[in-house]
Amino acid sequence: MPDFVCRLKRYRQLMDLTQEQLANQVGVRRETIMRLEKAQYNPSLKLAVDISRAVGTPIEEIFIFDLEEFNSRDTGEKNGEKN
Amino acid sequence: MKKNSTKITIFLGVICALITAGSSWYSVVFNDSRFVVPMDLSVYAFRMQDLPMIVSGILFALYILYLFAMLMRIIRIKKQNGASSRMTKRADPRLGLLGFFGFTGFLGFWTYQADKTVFPFVFFIFFGFFGFFYEGKLSATLMDERYCENKLKANYSANKAAMYIIFFATVFLGQGTLMGNLEYTFIAYIITVALAIALNLFLSSFLLYRYDHEELPKESEG
Repeated sequence: MPDFVCRLKRYRQLMDLTQEQLANQVGVRRETIMRLEKAQYNPSLKLAVDISRAVGTPIEEIFIFDLEEFNSRDTGEKNGEKN
Repeated sequence: MKKNSTKITIFLGVICALITAGSSWYSVVFNDSRFVVPMDLSVYAFRMQDLPMIVSGILFALYILYLFAMLMRIIRIKKQNGASSRMTKRADPRLGLLGFFGFTGFLGFWTYQADKTVFPFVFFIFFGFFGFFYEGKLSATLMDERYCENKLKANYSANKAAMYIIFFATVFLGQGTLMGNLEYTFIAYIITVALAIALNLFLSSFLLYRYDHEELPKESEG
């Protein structure tokens, strides 16, 4: 299961788009948008960019990855490099 | 295929059949049934009366080549259309019933007893056609990136399962000592490989459907 938070639903609703309309705009099935909104599917970079353009919001605002885990990994890597 | 070319193909087929029937009749009546009944071609000597059968044979071969070329052309056109449409092909889930033809594989036990023919065991592959049931359920579906990803995943799992079976069957049956009989070992190997291929065909469709429909969110539209 992808480890991220997806705020697509909020931005889609702000743009007054249905899942079907958004799916047609970005060339995927509605089921794919449903799974994306539930963070049950990790999209490709192209799809993420297409979605961000369709809802007029930067990608990092729509898909938020676990920052704590990201920071701990980052710190671990830096420590490893030092040693 | 356009209607005109269908008509031409059928017309040519009928002409070929008529020429073959006519030359066969001629051979039976006037040429001692040469080329109609099996003959030893190693001692063959040409006769003028053989000409109708030879010509009809050549025409028949050309017709088969023509059919083959037409088939290739249709496949190529369909592939081109398929690549541009991004939709899965339309298939009726009832085609899955073709899987029952897999039971014809059991005919092999009968033919082996009768005249040592083992080919019918290959028909176990037809069990794989049960996969058409799931392929039909996914017919006319947009092949977006999630579909393609699921398809790769399903094919990978199906191939892996089939390869494991074939690998272990090869190692086990390769010793050639099943019930102390090499023929039985060969038959067991044919059956195992046929079933592994059937499993591969079935699983690739079944798993694709399962991956595509698993954990479907309850919330539908927002």
